[in-house]
Amino acid sequence: MATAPSDYVFQDEFTADSTYEVGEAVSLWKDAWRRLTSNYFALFGLAVIVLLLLVAIVSQFWTPYPTWKQGIGPTYGGPSAAHPFGLDQVGRDILSRLMGGAAIALAVGLGTALLSSVIGIALGLLAGFYRGWVDTMISLLINVWYGIPDLLVVMLFVVIINSRELKWIIVAISITAWLNMARLVRGQTLALREREFVEAARSIGTRDVGLLTRHILPNALGPIIVQATYLIPAAILFEAFLSFLGLGAPPPEPSWGAMCAEGYKSLQLAAHVTLVPAFALAITLIALNAFGDGLRDALDPRMRR
Amino acid sequence: MTLETSPEVESRVVDKQLALVSVEDVTKHFPIGAGLLGGGSAVRAVDGVSFEVRAGETLGLVGESGCGKSTLGRVIAQLHPATSGKVIFQGQDLVPMRGEKLRRMRQELQMIFQDPYASLNPRMTVGEIIGEPLKNFGLARGKERSNRVHEVMRTCGLNPNFLNRYPHEFSGGQRQRIGIARALVLNPTFIVADEPISALDVSIQAQIVNLMEDLQNRFKLTYLFIAHDLSVVRHLSDRVAVMYLGKIMEIADSHSIYENPLHPYTKALLSSIPIPDPDLEAKRQPILLQGEIPSPVNPPSGCRFHTRCPIAQFPICSEQVPPLESKVDGHLAACHFAGQL
Ligand SMILES: Nc1ncnc2c1ncn2[C@@H]1O[C@H](COP(=O)(O)OP(=O)(O)OP(=O)(O)O)[C@@H](O)[C@H]1O
Ligand code: SF4
Ligand SMILES: [Mg+2]
Repeated sequence: MATAPSDYVFQDEFTADSTYEVGEAVSLWKDAWRRLTSNYFALFGLAVIVLLLLVAIVSQFWTPYPTWKQGIGPTYGGPSAAHPFGLDQVGRDILSRLMGGAAIALAVGLGTALLSSVIGIALGLLAGFYRGWVDTMISLLINVWYGIPDLLVVMLFVVIINSRELKWIIVAISITAWLNMARLVRGQTLALREREFVEAARSIGTRDVGLLTRHILPNALGPIIVQATYLIPAAILFEAFLSFLGLGAPPPEPSWGAMCAEGYKSLQLAAHVTLVPAFALAITLIALNAFGDGLRDALDPRMRR
Repeated sequence: MTLETSPEVESRVVDKQLALVSVEDVTKHFPIGAGLLGGGSAVRAVDGVSFEVRAGETLGLVGESGCGKSTLGRVIAQLHPATSGKVIFQGQDLVPMRGEKLRRMRQELQMIFQDPYASLNPRMTVGEIIGEPLKNFGLARGKERSNRVHEVMRTCGLNPNFLNRYPHEFSGGQRQRIGIARALVLNPTFIVADEPISALDVSIQAQIVNLMEDLQNRFKLTYLFIAHDLSVVRHLSDRVAVMYLGKIMEIADSHSIYENPLHPYTKALLSSIPIPDPDLEAKRQPILLQGEIPSPVNPPSGCRFHTRCPIAQFPICSEQVPPLESKVDGHLAACHFAGQL
């Protein structure tokens, strides 16, 4: 063996050596999926999310009645066969508006989660990787930003942009929502940059961009996904709150928050106008948070409280 | 064309008199508690080390845990910036190099890590891990790259069919082969191997050592082979350097180190190795070193070994630093009373 062994010899060795470890570990994601699907609360959350997604997609092509059309039936009409959730203060079909509202909620939730994650991940990676003055500047920005009320930021943004279109609402919420993601990613990056495989990657001539995208980011993905999942319900709630205050997407957009606000004035007369969207909002938030918790536990059992 | 018949390998010199790497008075201090009031102290992990690694040889670097072997290896491989000193490789000092120039240099100078679990990215497949160095230097693309990866995997005793597997699906020994393949794929001249077998099962260790020796012959590689124990490097080193508390105590060709150690520390290390022959083993008298290894934050004055040396004489040993100098033809030792134990 010591004298110039052929490749063939090594192959033999390989097969001999490999017998006892094949099938040693299931992949990390498979393992996480198994843990997730054995958590009933998380599964309930997932089911609601899937339903919501379907409703949102369907609403883009079909609703029982147009979401904006007034006077379809009696004002404040109660639930009936034709209008399962009744009618609102101007005689619009609440089921149709609820469906349209699901699309708005999901657009806001997913859009904000995506955009604010991109901002938070980028700044967190830079701060954690380069440390020094880059970190000082970004950390300062984060701390100052924390001190400014989110509502103030959104209001200023909406005034400056001079538009309440849904896409601008998403941008406005995103620029308030990236802070926790940035902190999380910064911490992960600080820890990961010291790991030996990152040092090894440096030794084979990997550039900074490669270190960040191929080595650090993929290894921080679990906590990032969990954090992003929590951003979705938070953004939906924030948008509902803005719409409730009249700062969200302008009428007749069927935002659940706006629907609650409109019905609120006649709560005693026709409670269903408020209760139906409020209930939809509550279920959605509970489901998303349940799914987030399940995902967190599934991806990192050590994080379980 | 295979790797071993490439012009780079063909033209590589194996001349065990010629320095490939010269380490000149290198120090590496890790500051601790610095900042407030300026006057922080430091871990003096490597504290004034000079030696050379010759073209085509294996230089064993040995010492107890915490003496600074890994730090020295990383400083030479430019993974830690040296605090001071020079690392001259192919006529150029690597220490002041930064950015793209240093990155280019890394093609020639690779590292194999101690922990085959921690040193492989768990989110990359074996093919991606071994192909990454080629990608970094734009050396081969597409089919050509995958051919190179296949070739190197076979050379390192890995089955290329397992290209798309993740590191956790392999045993420690195979993971170490992946780490070796990653270092080899760039066709480097010099490899720093930081305790490449100490994390492995004893049964696997010999396989990895054999692989590394085979690769050295085929590709005319030069190794700095780090180990914490003299017995590990015995049969694979041309020369051996013994390190204690951030300094080189003795350096000589293997035969001289094992047969005629001049430094009391080397002697003590050797005496603690069990001998397979039962008769000789019965006669073996281990030299027990008293006390703990002192802290590298505050190393002893004079000779660093004086707090534990069985033949220390005072005050000279605690006052004067013994220089690392030639005692008998090319056998260097740092001791005022070399050869007297
Ligand atoms: N990044 C670091 N920051 C601070 N101190 C460090 C750092 N790396 C190493 N040290 C210290 O430097 C000294 C030498 O460490 P090093 O890892 O080089 O030793 P070693 O000889 O490789 O030991 P081992 O056999 O345990 O691997 C130790 O005291 C260690 O605590
Ligand atoms: S110089 Fe003195 S203390 Fe140091 S090894 Fe030699 S005899 Fe021992
Ligand atoms: Mg070490």
